[in-house]
Amino acid sequence: MPKYAMVIDLQRCVGCGACSIACRNENNVPDGIYWSNKITETAGTFPNVRFHYLPTLCNHCSDAPCVEGCPTKAMHKLDNGITMHDPDKCIGCRYCQYNCPYEVIYFNWQDPHKFWRNPKPVIEGGTSSPKEMAQTVNNGNGAPYSNPGRGKTLPENRPKGVVEKCTFCDHRIKVGEIPYCVEACPADARIFGDLDKPDSKVNRLLGKFKPYRLKERLGTEPNVYYIRSFNPAHYQRTKGGI
Amino acid sequence: MEMKPNQKEGTLKDFLNDYKMSRRSFMKRASVATGGAIALGTTVKPTLRALAQASETTGSGAGEWKAATCQGCTSWCSKQVYVVDGRAVKVRGNPNSKVNGEASCPRVHLALQQVYDPDRIKTPMKRTNPKKGRNEDPKFVPISWDEALGTIADKIMELRNNNETHKYMLMRGRYSYMRDVLYDRMTKIIGSPNNISHSAICAEAEKFGPYYTEGYWGYRQYDVQRARYILLWGADPLAANRQVSYYSAVWGDAVDSATIAIAEPRLSATAAKADEWLPLKPGTDGALAVAIAHVLLTEGLWYKEFVGDFIDGENRFVSGQYVDSELFEEKHTNGIVTWWNLELKDKTPEWAAKITDLPVEQIKRVAVGYGQAAPHAISWLGGGPCMQVRGGYASMAVHALNGIVGAVDNVGGTQQSNKEYTTKFPKPDDFLDEIAKAGKKHKKIDHRGRLEFPALNKKPGGGVVTNNAADGILNADPNEIKVAIGYMNNFAFSCPQPERWERALAKIPFLVHITTNASEFSWFADILLPDTHHMFEKWGYVKAIGNGYRHVTLMQPIIEPVGDYKIDETEIPWLIAEKLAEKGFSNLLDHYKTYIDPETGKAPTNEKEFALYALKYATQNLWDPAKYKGGDKFSGWNELIKAGVWNSDPYPYRKKWSNMKTKTKKFEFYSETLKDVLEKHAEKHNTTVDHVLEVCNYLARGEMVFVPHYEEAFIAGDEKEYPFIHVDYKSRLNREGRSANCTWYHDFKDLDPGDVPWQDVAKINPRDARPLGIKNGDKVKLTSPSGSLTCTASLWEGVRPGTIAKCYGQGHWAYGRVASRVFGKVPRGGSSNDLIPAQYDRLSGSTAFYATTRIKIEKA
Repeated sequence: MPKYAMVIDLQRCVGCGACSIACRNENNVPDGIYWSNKITETAGTFPNVRFHYLPTLCNHCSDAPCVEGCPTKAMHKLDNGITMHDPDKCIGCRYCQYNCPYEVIYFNWQDPHKFWRNPKPVIEGGTSSPKEMAQTVNNGNGAPYSNPGRGKTLPENRPKGVVEKCTFCDHRIKVGEIPYCVEACPADARIFGDLDKPDSKVNRLLGKFKPYRLKERLGTEPNVYYIRSFNPAHYQRTKGGI
Repeated sequence: MEMKPNQKEGTLKDFLNDYKMSRRSFMKRASVATGGAIALGTTVKPTLRALAQASETTGSGAGEWKAATCQGCTSWCSKQVYVVDGRAVKVRGNPNSKVNGEASCPRVHLALQQVYDPDRIKTPMKRTNPKKGRNEDPKFVPISWDEALGTIADKIMELRNNNETHKYMLMRGRYSYMRDVLYDRMTKIIGSPNNISHSAICAEAEKFGPYYTEGYWGYRQYDVQRARYILLWGADPLAANRQVSYYSAVWGDAVDSATIAIAEPRLSATAAKADEWLPLKPGTDGALAVAIAHVLLTEGLWYKEFVGDFIDGENRFVSGQYVDSELFEEKHTNGIVTWWNLELKDKTPEWAAKITDLPVEQIKRVAVGYGQAAPHAISWLGGGPCMQVRGGYASMAVHALNGIVGAVDNVGGTQQSNKEYTTKFPKPDDFLDEIAKAGKKHKKIDHRGRLEFPALNKKPGGGVVTNNAADGILNADPNEIKVAIGYMNNFAFSCPQPERWERALAKIPFLVHITTNASEFSWFADILLPDTHHMFEKWGYVKAIGNGYRHVTLMQPIIEPVGDYKIDETEIPWLIAEKLAEKGFSNLLDHYKTYIDPETGKAPTNEKEFALYALKYATQNLWDPAKYKGGDKFSGWNELIKAGVWNSDPYPYRKKWSNMKTKTKKFEFYSETLKDVLEKHAEKHNTTVDHVLEVCNYLARGEMVFVPHYEEAFIAGDEKEYPFIHVDYKSRLNREGRSANCTWYHDFKDLDPGDVPWQDVAKINPRDARPLGIKNGDKVKLTSPSGSLTCTASLWEGVRPGTIAKCYGQGHWAYGRVASRVFGKVPRGGSSNDLIPAQYDRLSGSTAFYATTRIKIEKA
């Protein structure tokens, strides 16, 4: 059985967020919810200042506190290491959300894609209402560009009252495709693979660089690893001084 | 709709290393959380029943990737769209392209929200409120295509019957290379000189420098993978223009193999990953460039294989000293010593430090590092330094650095375009009648070529002065405009000082807008025609360069359109031509019938055939094996349309050395080419070159006019009243100002360093904000001498003190429900153009956007 992991090469990352927008698209994620996200930081003071970008997503922890705390086993581990969620079993208690130290689980406070239910056009007779557009294009099933592929292992659009999060695109993995954020990254900064295959691309990178994971000390054993630096700038060597 | 910002700025450290929290304490926290979570859970009733409904998917779910082209910016990447049952679902890079390959920048995905934007106009409409103005609701009502086209044809016929066809005007915005059907041929055959493009609000000044040094009027390719030093000037290739996808793909390697330095007053996306950030004072790029040139020469770092050397090998470029040009033997360049003597000899780093407010050591370090990397040392000219008043000379100065280090047309340097083999459409000459010929002889509405608007695109008046057309219309100078058509343009939003356009457009008695959305421009229109979306619904092609290749990438209708859209550049002119023929003027239709299908030899009989045949006609050399000239080879049309893109042969380096399209065929540090064209312009107006420069608001006189040099920026506003210099920039999610109606644009706005989701922010350095009592999130009013806007303050260290950075793209008061706060009435955020006065780099005709105005900031 494979054990899936992702390596994020921060040097290759250009901070463009194509991963996050593509994820929205692939997984029909509503506005305000970020299965794929980022932590940014502006460090220093002018003119000695830089902007740093760290892509984040569900870490698919081997020892996942979200799974541990779920009262209904809606949040569960798959044999391949993916932390999966079953909205059928979810009672919306948000226990997982509280337990996740990475803030990557989101709760659906409202019906998904509410935007597309609005019946008012901006110009009567001349433009569509969102509702009319969604109905004409896709029978009112979420957004007009809703991806039916997502519906293979989860509801295509998750309802109000349950949580949702990144699934490593389990629906794609099932048919032999890599997660969509990985495919969509223009910089190839995300590398996906099987930790159980000694010669997999992820293992090669983890053996070559000093990888680190988020909040390692919590012992959650994340399966998202980071290598290299977002800003590998050169600088003039110095011993400093007093 | 308002979303809560999802920002975690400043918490990186917490996530990387959580020393405070051990596994044990975490478990404790988990148990504490239990009570709260369960209590909360009871307040929300899960609607599990909705699951069954929500999980139903439409159709088979099996789709197909179809070739397409993205025009979200002018990278013009080749794409593929995943189409399921006639519906666009996803977008990715077209692996067949050698320019962008599989790489896709973030903004391409927003095309899905554009094509299915509910606020797209779905049918032709006419205005029923005869009063025109920003505060007048046009009261648009739907009409048939037949009625719309009939009215347009009537108005054109009226002009023709009265021998005043020159009062017809065509305004072009985003185009494909099908443009000439509508922009050129239709305008000419009707009989008007007034086809006005958007080019001068794009980046003509960015082409000015390369043209008057190396004879190339175009954007350059940058060979970043083989460069050892990349010096960027107001260019942000990881976020905006050009080849963002390609550069994003290779930048992670470039940061290893090259030193990257970027001159820009705000910390851009590219600056975030750079080795050196040179946050210079806006408008001083030219000073930095000539100081770097000074160091390159005094330190002996010029590339001798390209520039040549002193005959005896001794470097006589010593600060402050004249050099005898007889002692230097140039190879592939013209005038290095003249340039030194006229401009460079005193332009020391110390001199530049005072002007740019950069440390002397940094200027020296960058100059020497850049020179040591010669010839694999790129000086990357963006719009920043040159889309300024007097920016033409900064454009030359920045580009001339490539000449000094021999990076021009070289490995690891800058390249021109590769050859491509598309063909032009049939000539219109035989279809121009006497009315048309007479009409065409009138002068253009944008005043190009007048003494004060040289617009030197290769010849005097060769370029457009887009933004000045508003003044031409307002003053009926040289004549009034009675009938106008605009397509995929929004000058009432995209041009600085847009209230001039509001008044100008309101003055045109009959205005037609071909557009996807009812925009600010549309607000003044009499007829709206619903346009196709270029990426999914249109036949067309564009050409782009990058990665050492040129591609010609096709657009095709690949989805089921929702509305009754027609293609702007082909179908609509054909339909107008049909109506004109019905009314007794068939020349335009007769001309369009000459666009025969190269495969079948058939002439088009309707608008759909015309759109397709015109494209096949223009691209025949690419797909017809009998006409093969180079690059990718195809067996026929069907194979090309399936691949979606044709690639050129690889770039042939160093073929242009001493074979440039300049007067001297050399790279001109002393521009004989500029001298020639300026003298022609002066002669045309019976005056001297110096007088031309004076009228056009440049400082140079005499020989200095012909060499790259620093000119002090011309910035509007008194420093006391307006203490900050306005810094305009582009979002990495902008699709040329057309994506603000997409929710993803706002939900991910913080992908622009320092910006905030669902806000339009003015970024101000905390040390400037504090004394003014301005805090993060405050509503603020920015005011310049020419206008004002209201937005939100963001205190950010990545902004140079003394400047305020504000992104272009928001501030729509029309366009749609998301782009505006109240459609047709209240803008969301503010448009930078409301601050920028209508000013020009007159030599290139460009509109100035940068270092153009001072502003003040107050709490709103």
